[in-house]
Amino acid sequence: MLRKRVITVLTFNDGVLYRTKLFRPDYRYTLNFVDAWSVDEIVVLDVTRPGEGGRENFERVIADFARRCFVPLSAGGGIRTLDDVRRLMALGADKVVLNTGALERPPLIAEVARAYGAQCVVLAMDVRRHEDGRYEVYGGFGQRPSGRAPEDWAREAVGEGAGEILVTAIERDGWLQGYDLELCRRLSQAVPVPVLVLGGAGTWAHMAEAFEAGAAAACTQNIYHFTETSIRSAKAFLAKRGLPVRN
Amino acid sequence: MSVAIVDYGLGNLRSVAGAVEHLGHAARITAEPAELRDAAKLILPGVGAFGDGMAKLRARGLDEALTREVVEGGKPLLGICLGFQLLAEASEEFGEHQGLGWIAGRVTRLRPDDASLPVPHVGWNELHQVRPSRLFAGIADGALFYFVHSYRLAPRAGGLAVGETDYGGRFVAAIERDNILGTQFHPEKSQKDGLAVLGNFLGHA
Repeated sequence: MLRKRVITVLTFNDGVLYRTKLFRPDYRYTLNFVDAWSVDEIVVLDVTRPGEGGRENFERVIADFARRCFVPLSAGGGIRTLDDVRRLMALGADKVVLNTGALERPPLIAEVARAYGAQCVVLAMDVRRHEDGRYEVYGGFGQRPSGRAPEDWAREAVGEGAGEILVTAIERDGWLQGYDLELCRRLSQAVPVPVLVLGGAGTWAHMAEAFEAGAAAACTQNIYHFTETSIRSAKAFLAKRGLPVRN
Repeated sequence: MSVAIVDYGLGNLRSVAGAVEHLGHAARITAEPAELRDAAKLILPGVGAFGDGMAKLRARGLDEALTREVVEGGKPLLGICLGFQLLAEASEEFGEHQGLGWIAGRVTRLRPDDASLPVPHVGWNELHQVRPSRLFAGIADGALFYFVHSYRLAPRAGGLAVGETDYGGRFVAAIERDNILGTQFHPEKSQKDGLAVLGNFLGHA
């Protein structure tokens, strides 16, 4: 049986690892805490704002991870063209994460899918929940409203060739209060591809809730920074709850 | 021992090279037929579309070079993911495409019995060892490997499969025929057990 995945998402600002809160780099970390042997997959994202640093440092990070980690590696942040994708793939990424670039120009998804296959394309969307309960996709580091509903955008992206959907609940980033399960449920029902959720995990039970709401993968960014425990202990918890995970 | 990783412009060659080097072997990423001749073993990796992959192999003359080394010369080759599928006669991915044709059989889309199972099949799944293989020495039956694919190779002949995986029905996840080996999963992305599979193919450093 296919296992539910536990994915570590790492955000880099000019090549330096940060945690984020509400999408801003919040605190600097070193890489030592990444438990390289029990994580199922790693996502590295460049969150360097335009003009606040070059790409070289982030590219060094990707090459370093590709050499040392024998799990799938996805890379993203600032991808606008197929050339950007080629560079990341040449550095050793297995998949690329498209976000604002795809919102601005949806055919980018199809271009990447044609060149590398749908399984290489992770469409990431940052979603805000409005006061009236309506969800909306935001671009540009979660700042720019797109006018799109997450389910519609996910369907369109899958139609263009996206192989996975990574959804982040903007307001939950860094708060450790749990994933947006309603959003997770809606997207899992809307598209036939794996849905990966990010934003809000603070306990292992939060991951279990996400899986039970249809997520193929629970992504965490900050949780390990605050706990002495590891991915291994998360997996032990999830297995005990009857969820199929890789120990 | 020197290992040539066939570079035809598709897929993550670095991570394959990284895993080979981690195991203590010299890895050479190359598109030169002469370097395929000099290498002791070959790895045909690849992620991407079948037709594109074959077109790129042909454009570099690698289809003929590989056939010469592997089919005529008997050099060990491990195909990974798309590199495994390219060993087939043909694929239906984005239209009909001819493959290397070393393994009788076709590459067809995954069609899980359970319609709720997403395609692509992405993630860690069990490998059932259906026949002894040198690839699996020291690896437990049912060990987990990382898959990412929408298509699968269905060999026509029984007995080629050494590993199968269940995803709404069983598909062939590993084959062995003399010097030709292939895995649908990514050993270079499957941590300890994946490195063990690669190590079994490469032998002791």
